Amino acid sequence: MNEVASKSTAAARSSAQIRMDSLRNLLKVSEFVIFIVVIVLLIGGALINPRIMGVENLKIITRDTAILAIAAIGVAFPIITAGIDLSIGSIVGLGGVLSAFFIMNWGMPIFPSILLALLVGVVIGWIHGLFVTRLNMHGFLITLVTLGVARGGILVITNGIPITGLPDEYTYLGQGYLFGLIPIPVILCVVVAIFAHYLLRYTYIGRQIYAVGGNIEATRLSGVNINARVVLCYVISVVCASLVGVIQAGRLSLGHPATGEGFELLAITACILGGLSLMGGQGTVPGILVGSALIGVLQNLMVMLNINPYWHKIVIGLVLLAAITFDYSRRKQN
Amino acid sequence: MNKEPLLRMTGITKHFPGVQALSNVDFEIYPGEILGFLGENGAGKSTLIKILSGIHAQDQGTIWLNGQEIHPRSPHDAQNLGISTIHQELALAPNLTVAENIFLNREPRLALGRVDFARMNRAAEELLHDLGTDIPGNKRISHLTVAAQQMVEIAKAVSHSANLILMDEPTSALSAREVDALFALMRRLKERGVGVVFISHRLDEVRQIVDRVIVMRDGQRVGSLPIAEASEEQIIRMMVGRNVTVAAKADAAVGEPVLEVRNLSGYNGVEQVDLTVRKGEIVGISGLVGAGRTELVRLICGVDRLRTGEVRIDGKPVKIQSPADAVAHGIGWVPEDRKLHGLILGMSVQENSSMAILPRLSNWLAMIRPQKERAIAEHYVKALDIVTPSVSQTVRNLSGGNQQKVVLAKWLSSTPQLLIVDEPTRGIDVGAKSEIHRLLAELAQQGIAILMISSELPEILAMSDRIVVMCQGRVTGEFTHASATEEKILTAATQFLTIANSPN
Repeated sequence: MNEVASKSTAAARSSAQIRMDSLRNLLKVSEFVIFIVVIVLLIGGALINPRIMGVENLKIITRDTAILAIAAIGVAFPIITAGIDLSIGSIVGLGGVLSAFFIMNWGMPIFPSILLALLVGVVIGWIHGLFVTRLNMHGFLITLVTLGVARGGILVITNGIPITGLPDEYTYLGQGYLFGLIPIPVILCVVVAIFAHYLLRYTYIGRQIYAVGGNIEATRLSGVNINARVVLCYVISVVCASLVGVIQAGRLSLGHPATGEGFELLAITACILGGLSLMGGQGTVPGILVGSALIGVLQNLMVMLNINPYWHKIVIGLVLLAAITFDYSRRKQN
Repeated sequence: MNKEPLLRMTGITKHFPGVQALSNVDFEIYPGEILGFLGENGAGKSTLIKILSGIHAQDQGTIWLNGQEIHPRSPHDAQNLGISTIHQELALAPNLTVAENIFLNREPRLALGRVDFARMNRAAEELLHDLGTDIPGNKRISHLTVAAQQMVEIAKAVSHSANLILMDEPTSALSAREVDALFALMRRLKERGVGVVFISHRLDEVRQIVDRVIVMRDGQRVGSLPIAEASEEQIIRMMVGRNVTVAAKADAAVGEPVLEVRNLSGYNGVEQVDLTVRKGEIVGISGLVGAGRTELVRLICGVDRLRTGEVRIDGKPVKIQSPADAVAHGIGWVPEDRKLHGLILGMSVQENSSMAILPRLSNWLAMIRPQKERAIAEHYVKALDIVTPSVSQTVRNLSGGNQQKVVLAKWLSSTPQLLIVDEPTRGIDVGAKSEIHRLLAELAQQGIAILMISSELPEILAMSDRIVVMCQGRVTGEFTHASATEEKILTAATQFLTIANSPN
């Protein structure tokens, strides 16, 4: 019974260790590492091509990053619940084409036509949510259906021909600048990010969304209306993608039927880079913004450094692979 | 003992983020010895077992097996070294059959690599028969009760013909008969010279079966005694560092009925149950594993669908169709399996504690009030004596007993009028157990109605004002605190079983 050693020294040692751990943990936070990578890439690229750090190019980078980030923030919601939304690429196309169609073919005013396009997004997301909650279907399946059906819907609406002639007020959403400096998509992205960050970080609804991803059964037994939370997540995802569609149509000045193809890959990659896990239950909006920035910068560098465009998707895919590998190896260590 | 130890560990140290799990622990077991490995939750027993079975690596220290230094790097490694482990948490593949689980990765083969299912099933059934159960080898694990799964796990460990078997609370889900069979098997292993490490919180069991005990406290070895020389009080004192008495419930003023259940039947096996729980009363539900006790709770809490019957809360008929309805009616439910149904392991103590009351903690913008949330968590960490560095510690890093207290904190913070506790002290050490008993008694005194499911008769007998016994989904007996005895309860609990399902 005299084997019990002095407790106080053990306690002192462990508190010192905790401090060391927290320092190490900061370096383990992938968001922080990725932020550094973004900076290094920009500086490194600028050494080769100084125009990369020029104001005009930075405007392009921030605008592209913002557009991607809106979609990534949206798709993050189903991912946090341990689901996924693969439909967003087609939804981006649908959002742009629908709003353009309402304006040009139905003669609707700009603002109501955008609202109506977003409302269609609400309905689609709500249907996704119903399948996931009522039938216990994995989000992967029902959103894969929409990935196909929505792209087909676009072709039916447009007959495969881009809708042109959009008014300036509409294209301003994608092409305009505030004070001639800040791209309008950046403003929209900030609004979406603040809303999402507030929802996830500070409200009980956000907490419950994380809880669903952590342990859906324990969350349900705690009296949380998990069905409502899951449906909300799928709605947010599709609405964000629809908004991106509107912005993209504005940026291109037309509702093009091919817009958004492959966008789900970019958005999901941005989420994983930003610290989300496909197992759900984790991730933050600042992380997603950093992840989107990395992809935005990478894509821009590849253009500015004259890398053959055929290689771009391979690079993005490999970045996704690196992020997932990092995520899984870290989890294995734990 | 002057024999060479079968296994010796010296100076084992292990550190987890924020927790010193083991510091400088020595451990030894001799061939043919059954060693009781004791200590409260969080004392470091499971960690040591996990190091030995290759799940964790020690930070410092050495392990010798038969005089040779070993480094088990994976469970597979440990198995090859002749070390088999039955973990506290069952580790079976739910979609495979009993035999497929037992012989996983070493299935008997026919030509062309086909599995010889007939032989495999027979071999599995023989193993299980030795353990005194008749579980069919071709049954799926997911269709078995927890107790039956436990027996499969034990059969699997035994079948590896290991010379060291580690059992981390193998009896926590077993009935008395199954425990007897397990003990008989352990004695046979002992005769073969196998060393068995036995972890249990039931000291009466430990006294029955082990030769020697090693006692841990706070990650350190407190001492070792031959069981013949150790009194129960002495062991408890070593484990807890103080004296503990078995708590009995003080009489509380019993008031109006809070929960009334009439003629309740479901599609989950519950048949025509009547039940009343009054303010300030603890009603114990006894019965064998699989008697339909948890299923009854699932009906009351709106998890499973009702077929017939009525539930009244405060005398008013209510329709509870989801757990959310149950919470809204002031029902709190501490489930049997805390990891599956009670906790979000990746979240903090604070986030888990507030999970059932989040809307109440929030302002009109749905924002959680952080100070309020923290204050509640800190209050319960203190009140329930939860051992954690802080309320922001991830629940995954806590010991089983402390995790259970976090589940309790979640429901107590919702100020329920009816608290349902399902096996509240399962897998919990002596100290924490009597704390939880005291706590339940206090809650009853404050006027909460408590419905307690327990497989431990001493617990049921000591704590309950009334005892309801279930068998095969029906109520087969009801006793007052004064009139209940172990014999009466057991008779009622096996009422329908005597003919249909007698041993052998």
